[in-house]
Amino acid sequence: MHTRTVRKKCGVLRMSIVLVVLLVILAVLCAVSAAVGSAGYTIVEILQRTFEEGSNPVKVIVLNLRLPRILLAVLIGASLSSSGALLQSVMRNPLADPGTIGVSAGAATAASTILLLIPGMTGSLPLFAFAGAALACFLIYSMAWKGGVDPTRIILSGVAINSVLGAYTSLLQLLNSDSLSGVLAFMNGSLSGKSWYQFKTLAVYCIIGLILSFFCIKSANALQLGDEMAKSLGVKVNASRIFLSAVSAFLAASTVAVAGMIGFVGLVVPHIARLLVGSDYKAMLPVSIVLGADILLLADTIGRTIVPGMEIPVGIVMAVCGGPFFLYMLRKKGGNYGN
Amino acid sequence: MEIDACGLQVGYGDIIVVDEMDIHLHKGEITTIIGPNGSGKSTVLKALTRLLKYRKGSVYLNQKNLQKFESKELARCVGVLPQRHSAPPDFKVKDLVGYGRMPYQSWYKGNSAEDEKIIDWAMKATGVYEMREKSIQECSGGESQRVWIATVLAQQPDIMFLDEPTTYLDISHQLETMRLVKKLNRESGIGVVMVLHDLSQALEVSDRIVVIKDGKKYSEGKPEEVITQKMMWEVYHVECEIVWLKGRKAPLIAYKEIC
Repeated sequence: MHTRTVRKKCGVLRMSIVLVVLLVILAVLCAVSAAVGSAGYTIVEILQRTFEEGSNPVKVIVLNLRLPRILLAVLIGASLSSSGALLQSVMRNPLADPGTIGVSAGAATAASTILLLIPGMTGSLPLFAFAGAALACFLIYSMAWKGGVDPTRIILSGVAINSVLGAYTSLLQLLNSDSLSGVLAFMNGSLSGKSWYQFKTLAVYCIIGLILSFFCIKSANALQLGDEMAKSLGVKVNASRIFLSAVSAFLAASTVAVAGMIGFVGLVVPHIARLLVGSDYKAMLPVSIVLGADILLLADTIGRTIVPGMEIPVGIVMAVCGGPFFLYMLRKKGGNYGN
Repeated sequence: MEIDACGLQVGYGDIIVVDEMDIHLHKGEITTIIGPNGSGKSTVLKALTRLLKYRKGSVYLNQKNLQKFESKELARCVGVLPQRHSAPPDFKVKDLVGYGRMPYQSWYKGNSAEDEKIIDWAMKATGVYEMREKSIQECSGGESQRVWIATVLAQQPDIMFLDEPTTYLDISHQLETMRLVKKLNRESGIGVVMVLHDLSQALEVSDRIVVIKDGKKYSEGKPEEVITQKMMWEVYHVECEIVWLKGRKAPLIAYKEIC
């Protein structure tokens, strides 16, 4: 009994160490991200100047421009990773991410329509993007429903509906190729020019979503054992699957509404978390959340500093750096997962 | 604890897989369902445990309609080991067995001291206690089957349903699994209902056998009464002799030479 509790503590210890390391990295990244940019400061300088009385350029840049952007990156990274982690259990498919359930395609459809056909309503873009994402997701689930929701049917109806919506978006873009810059920025997911206003809106949604995602841990774990096993353990499989999907759609749709489509985070981060702490959602979900925040903040910081005078959208940085890194992780520790 | 099914009809889409099925199961007995591929054995098992909906008929568990059970309440009475199950390869044995306690826990609670005790008991009873820290991927086929049985056992069900527990195992692991099932039944009085393909094993371990042919019950009774030359021919279209060997409790089936 004694060795048992000791061993149990070892598992918790491992997760705690990983979490603490990731949180330290997050703190360092926040500090670095606040310091670097077109105007570079040292950390000491930032600390001194922001606590000074009165207004000064350092204070304005750090507090009004960089800080909200840093916090947004953290929130979005956390939400997208949590969303992807939950969906991978819902679908029992390692390739599931928020794009699978139509969140990206739905938001893109709504955004292109607003930006290209009704530019007068650009101000309410986030609202429409959210609604589009939710609607596409609902459509996919209702098409997949046949006495219950089967993951394969969700994925297949997702492919079908995503392709229809994709075709519509492409057609719109072809017909309006002269005014595409706004749409392109949305499609590639960018945090450029985001302020406290967006942060405040998103914070409410994301925090609700993230709290809800912790309620999903037990059912996410049970779904990993297969539907029949989960059912015979007393889990309401359909209800769990829908609740988990709803939480992850809510999280992903909120981020899409504010920052556009940032791919790859929801797919890759849960896998890296799994390699670090294993498949148990009790450890994997919190680690995914913090790791997602780390990675998105890093990607955004790189994107806005690597080429002086130019911003590379975080979605593009994410895809370019994330892919090879993921492959590296897979080859290095692939024996544990994915066979 | 007993299960009473009457006039059961189960199907998928337009196809009726099982029809007019009456089955009566008791606590403490080992009942084996046999029959050719596609005859509806697994379907019966799933309908009895509510993994599948039935269209007609009724199932009563301790005189209570199966449909009236809460999911968790049902999971505390019957445990099912489905034919297909999977766990993430890095799950530890003791964690997987721990999932058997889910029907007793609310969604926010972890294992209580009582749960831990039962998990340990289930692992000891199935002989996997020594490898509790191993991950599933480190277990052999036979070991992992014992781990899954331990998971079902941790549910503390009155009746345990095993859907082809020996398929995909080599002969030594098949025998080991059967021995384990028999031992669990004898020692803790748990009822077992299983689907088997190996008729010799069915003959030896079962208290009762139900033969299913084309979705209907062909016969039911004590092993040696049910497994006869006539049944083998009518149900499986196989010629054989039932041979009694000296010193063995159960007869053997000698199939007609293949060529």
